[in-house]
Amino acid sequence: FVSYQVEILDWKTKKQLCFLDKVEPNATIREIRLMFHKLYPRWYPARQSIKLDPKGKSLRDEEILQHLPVGTTATLYFKDLGPQIGWTTVFLIEYTGPLFIYFLFYFRMPFVYGLDERFTSSPHPVVNLACICHSFHYIKRLIETVFVHRFSHGTMPLRNIVKNCLYYWGFAAWLAYYINHPLYTPPSYGKKQINFAVIMFLLCEAGNFSIHVVLSDLRRNGSKTRKIPYPTKNPFTWLFFFVSCPNYTYEVGTWISFTVMTQCVPVGLFTLLCFIQMTIWAKDKHCTYLREFKDYPSLRMPIIPFLL
Amino acid sequence: LSSRWLVIAVGLVRAYLAKGSYHSLYYSIEKPLKFFQTGALLEEYLLIAKYLPGIVPSSVVLTAFQVMSRVFLTWAVTHSVKEVQTEDSVLLFVVAWTITEIIRYSFYTFSLLNHLPYLIKWARYTLFIVLYPMGVSGELLTIYAALPFVRQSGLYSISLPNKYNFSFDYYTFLILVMISYIPIFPQLYFHMLHQRRKVLSHTEEHKKSE
Repeated sequence: FVSYQVEILDWKTKKQLCFLDKVEPNATIREIRLMFHKLYPRWYPARQSIKLDPKGKSLRDEEILQHLPVGTTATLYFKDLGPQIGWTTVFLIEYTGPLFIYFLFYFRMPFVYGLDERFTSSPHPVVNLACICHSFHYIKRLIETVFVHRFSHGTMPLRNIVKNCLYYWGFAAWLAYYINHPLYTPPSYGKKQINFAVIMFLLCEAGNFSIHVVLSDLRRNGSKTRKIPYPTKNPFTWLFFFVSCPNYTYEVGTWISFTVMTQCVPVGLFTLLCFIQMTIWAKDKHCTYLREFKDYPSLRMPIIPFLL
Repeated sequence: LSSRWLVIAVGLVRAYLAKGSYHSLYYSIEKPLKFFQTGALLEEYLLIAKYLPGIVPSSVVLTAFQVMSRVFLTWAVTHSVKEVQTEDSVLLFVVAWTITEIIRYSFYTFSLLNHLPYLIKWARYTLFIVLYPMGVSGELLTIYAALPFVRQSGLYSISLPNKYNFSFDYYTFLILVMISYIPIFPQLYFHMLHQRRKVLSHTEEHKKSE
């Protein structure tokens, strides 16, 4: 039985921050983080980036000391990731905002369209429908955040929440402003356009939810390893034959439907930005899948079947 | 590269001498200015992306910003609002841009040829101290001068109701652009000051060690 010694240095100054004696060979990085936290209470484990190399990647909690390429005296580097916030918390705040902000405009709070229009309602049924759809979308997201999603990373930097909220809340306000405006003009092709859009919207929401359930089931036993998602009996999941990230595909579809339903340029712009962002995420995920799995289905594209 | 700016500079001088007043200046430099500014967009990205990462330590984002603002000033303000074309503020920023660009492109050219005279390097990293504020003042004054005409004519603005349910007020947009100079300009300026200290002191050390 050989016990290890672990010294942890600051990644930039190389100053020794702590020296741990008599560490068990099968200790995990998680345990080392906890020990480090005891010495430095303000650096809780989620804030600690522990690495083998000052400029390298952060070690995962599950890594075991004796499996790392270190001698019996291990030198690790610490970097402070800054204040962290849990993903679940972030999502809850990000998604609750748009839900309530939209209502401010739908109910025409006096400060929005002026005192003359306060608390009036629109003569167009599509405006009510849009409110229902928008709210449904964000309520669905909130439910998924609490009950469905299983996050691989526990936290993200605190400053991200400001950036993300500005984006989601800002756009929600901007598009709600036009849809609920007294001078709103309903879609050019009337009922046909609206009904078509609603059906597409519901199909895409169902699709998106189905995919989230499939992804969540991959991690049912609490594991954090990546597995290839496959289509199930649910027809909505058959998009997995063609695409790595069908949840993003369906999400874009939802927003396109909403754009068609409201015929509103700001919604269209939001949809475009969503599409760009999700394409970037999908390509990333797709590349990671290709790297990690040699037998990854070759027919699949990142986000759009056969195209992108 | 810097020749095109020399063309403008020569044009400037010629026009001034020929017409005796710099108010009609704009008309003589208008076409080259627009052409070169728009060409600058493509050129900037080519240069930065392909040739310069190793040679020039400038930030891609900041340079892109600069080019964007110049194209905006040239097309979306000065060209679009004819009434400001006789303003002195236009002269102010055109002169500032011209001198800056001649020096900058000489700098890049000489860098590529691996024979950079200290004077050019010094000029690039020192003259901006005056030229930046000069250019920014000219730009801001021009935008400010354009405001009443934009308001009056409703230029580039859409109002409700319309079938795309969208509105845009160019007047408010211009004001927001002016306000955005407040956080952005100091950052660019201090970035250049920081670069100056780094580059010029590095040369000093080089000289001392020789």
